[in-house]
Amino acid sequence: MPEDILVDIKKDYVLAKLREGERIDGRKFDEFRKVEVKVGVIEKAEGSALVKLGNTQVVVGIKMQPGEPFPDTPDKGIIIVNAELVPLASPTFEPGPPDETSVELARVVDRGIRESEAVDLSRLCIEVGKNVWMVFVDIHALDDDGNLLDASAIASISALMNTKIPASRFGLGEDYELPINDLPISVTSLVVGDKFLIDPSRDELSVGNSTLTVSVDRNDNIVAMQKSGDYLLSEALLEEIIEASIGAAKKLREEIIKQISKS
Amino acid sequence: MSRPDKFIVDGKRLDGRLPDQLRPIKIEVDVLKRADGSCYIEMGKNKVVAAVYGPREAFPRHIQDPSKVVVRYRYNMAPFSVEERKRPGPDRRSVEISKVSKEAFETIIMKELFPRSVVDIFVEVLQADAGSRTACINAASVALVDAGIPVKGMLTSVAVAKVDGTLVLDPMKEEDNFGDADMPFAFLIRGGKIESIALLQMDGRMTKAEIKDAIALAKKGAMEIYNLQREAIMKQFVEEEE
Amino acid sequence: MRKIVLPGDLISTNPKVAGYGTYVEGDKVYAKIIGIFEQADNSIRVIPLKGKYSPSVGDTIIGIVREVASNGWNVDINSPYQAFLPLGENPETKPGKKLNDVLDIGDAIIAKVLSIDPRMRVTISMKDKICRAIRFGRIVAINPARVPRVIGKKGSMIKLIKSELEVQIVVGQNGLIWLNGDRRKVAIAEEVVYLIEEGAHTEGLTDRVGEFIRRRKDVQT
Repeated sequence: MPEDILVDIKKDYVLAKLREGERIDGRKFDEFRKVEVKVGVIEKAEGSALVKLGNTQVVVGIKMQPGEPFPDTPDKGIIIVNAELVPLASPTFEPGPPDETSVELARVVDRGIRESEAVDLSRLCIEVGKNVWMVFVDIHALDDDGNLLDASAIASISALMNTKIPASRFGLGEDYELPINDLPISVTSLVVGDKFLIDPSRDELSVGNSTLTVSVDRNDNIVAMQKSGDYLLSEALLEEIIEASIGAAKKLREEIIKQISKS
Repeated sequence: MSRPDKFIVDGKRLDGRLPDQLRPIKIEVDVLKRADGSCYIEMGKNKVVAAVYGPREAFPRHIQDPSKVVVRYRYNMAPFSVEERKRPGPDRRSVEISKVSKEAFETIIMKELFPRSVVDIFVEVLQADAGSRTACINAASVALVDAGIPVKGMLTSVAVAKVDGTLVLDPMKEEDNFGDADMPFAFLIRGGKIESIALLQMDGRMTKAEIKDAIALAKKGAMEIYNLQREAIMKQFVEEEE
Repeated sequence: MRKIVLPGDLISTNPKVAGYGTYVEGDKVYAKIIGIFEQADNSIRVIPLKGKYSPSVGDTIIGIVREVASNGWNVDINSPYQAFLPLGENPETKPGKKLNDVLDIGDAIIAKVLSIDPRMRVTISMKDKICRAIRFGRIVAINPARVPRVIGKKGSMIKLIKSELEVQIVVGQNGLIWLNGDRRKVAIAEEVVYLIEEGAHTEGLTDRVGEFIRRRKDVQT
């Protein structure tokens, strides 16, 4: 992947600030960038959300259709998360089949939703063993100014909360709202030496791609974690990050609920 | 396979193990002639073989890095390795496992010693039980040493799961499929001690306190595996001596 | 049995003594490869038991020409890196003589490592008197990590082979060894080389090798 030439220039600045105990945009170390959530932006989709996290922008659309259940869960709906990092979103993204970064992103978002049991899959059964609702969560990156992962997770759960099951279109009665039980928040930290920065911006990521993602449910349980990047993590720092992630998730969750209920 | 009513009966797990007990492990070193380093591991019913090639000239040339070695890691499951035939080639799960495993090894390989070259780590899962990614990392770690590649230390990998509210070491298939949480680790071991975390994933549901306990349990298991890895490597030289 | 260490083994807390096969972090010296731990007065090192040849300046190596370019030859030196032999570093080059008449693809040579740049581009030379194109004799290959044992302490093992078998022997640091002389004696020398490779980590090797050679010679005569 071609790297932005500005990366090297930014890196020194970020590190210099960090030594003074500051972030380049003045945020606290455990503070997310400003978040904006708009739901229902795509009328043709069953549910959708456009999320801005700082300058990072992601749109998620939900499509649903009946389909055959997995043999080991005959009475449960199916949820499939897919991510496309289209070349429009960054000079470093290339067209073609999903690379390891987008596969990882989709799978980590998927785990946050799945493990928090945010979507009540047991209420998506149409006919046991034969027909269940399939929920396709498609993440479409628009602008990668850092931390696409958390932005994608916010957009995914917001879009799901906005989803109406298109029962009438398939002759299965009246449309109804997708049953949602939780609002998991994914919190990604950039690890720099023995420090960490929650919700790193693109400029901050110029110092490296050593991250840890911690997904937290509404009861402060950890539902998913992913260490990404070639760095060694100490046990002490891991505990610190988990603690901070729980706090940051709580704040962000409240903000998202506020914004969704307004729109 | 269906969900068992209980995972732990009279303090014992479905396969008779205690919560902090590993499955039987068998390690053989230098099992492939063509590879520069190799290792075969059985961890429970997992049977995996790892091969390391390199450092060797990197092709195609555009993948070369003028300042350091490029590390590639390919986790691949044989079509016959699971109950229902797996379609050959990489799926999304394999791509992700390959990525995080590669990154774990990048933390220990002394990359700057071999600019413009590549180290290839290939792991083939011949039979998959639960925890195949951990078995693969353990095999790859031994194969790297066997290839004589300069590394900071060895990687040792093990998972911890949560079933019926209890943390269990090195989960079996049932615990992995139906448990409440699964947390694979890889640790860097140096000077005979666990030093830091090179790979960490988690899915399921755990409290902060449970995660702390899970780390402690994983460390205990990892030390046991490390001793077996060591023993297996040393064994080749003892045999030659006789 | 000699002490074998593995990567990550803590072998000293005095960074000043760190030698080959080790690395320093803070005040600790660790092994970075699998090998035999060796301690001298004020240095410790790990003699590799496995691994690829990594060229270093001054090494004598044996290589095989892979490509004839306009200004020299690209030579496979059994390492992650090909080496380049420039026209001017081969004394056999003469004006008007075509390059592939001097050395052609597949030819084996004995050469010395002249320089290595930071990107590991290796240049070799044939100007030293030990260097030559190999047109007769045998080349055998062993694990490059075992080369120091074939040479022996201050060349003792080579001396032993030479004096007992009256063969010419040039040991390339890259694991390729050239043997030349009486056909039957070369055959014994080849076996000896493999014997040393196999038992590189064991003690009393020189004695065993000496005995082996004498026994073999008895069988042949």
